[in-house]
Amino acid sequence: MSDDTKIETKKSSRRTYLVVFGALALLTALEVTVTHLPIPRIPVLIPLALIKASLVALFYMHLRFDRKVFSLVFVMGLLMGVGLILSLIALFAPSLLDIR
Amino acid sequence: MSQESTASLEITSMGVDNRKLGVWVWLGSEAVFFSALIIVYIVMRNNSVSGPFPRGTLNVSLTAINTFILICSSLTMVTALSAIQSGSQRGLWRWLVVTMALGLAFLTGQAIEFTSLAHQGLSLSSNLFGGTFFTLTGFHGAHVLIGVIWIGFVVARALRGGYTQSNHLMVELAGLYWHFVDLVWIIIFTIVYLI
Repeated sequence: MSDDTKIETKKSSRRTYLVVFGALALLTALEVTVTHLPIPRIPVLIPLALIKASLVALFYMHLRFDRKVFSLVFVMGLLMGVGLILSLIALFAPSLLDIR
Repeated sequence: MSQESTASLEITSMGVDNRKLGVWVWLGSEAVFFSALIIVYIVMRNNSVSGPFPRGTLNVSLTAINTFILICSSLTMVTALSAIQSGSQRGLWRWLVVTMALGLAFLTGQAIEFTSLAHQGLSLSSNLFGGTFFTLTGFHGAHVLIGVIWIGFVVARALRGGYTQSNHLMVELAGLYWHFVDLVWIIIFTIVYLI
């Protein structure tokens, strides 16, 4: 890779980090705003939180650019965690799964 | 993207550094750990026989500011990594110090909130809401504190010139942990304070 290409790559990386930061800040403000609106919270806030978490994982933790084996092991843990949450909700708080 | 010198690279059979792979496996296990705490909070928080109850007790505004502080710290952490990837040792330790400061600011915000909640009668033993809330947020706060201390060790080594453009894996690993702590807080903030 030439020096100019490396400089451009680094500039675009820093630009990407700032764009992601802006998105995270905006999404956080949007989440807080939603709590003041007369709309169902779970179907709006959970996807927003997952988008924010994905941005952090993909860009700040570099999963988007790194070897896929890292994504594999991390996603395995996430899936176990999500499975744990969903199964215990179904057992002890099934009404939470009714998001109408 | 990380750059590691072949001299310090410990290659596994999958062709990646085993320290980095180990950290990712560990973060996957931490995801299961926090999932367990989150689900217990979700199921138990509204089952308290007596108050205080979640609604009207938690300070969303203060915690939203705290959330923004932690998001800022993720930006400064990744900027520190980017600095050493460009060969800037000064940029590395300066941005790491800012990250530490933001982490301490977050912990201060948590301490203020916990004190306020205590004055409202909420504690680990007050009711199910208090027990699950403080267990979840307390463990997260402990992770933040460990992260601040870890970054402190990284700063100490950085000041001695211990990291270079071709050898800075430990900076990246500390960053992964820090971003994970931020990621967990993003989920906790939504579930505990907003829903």
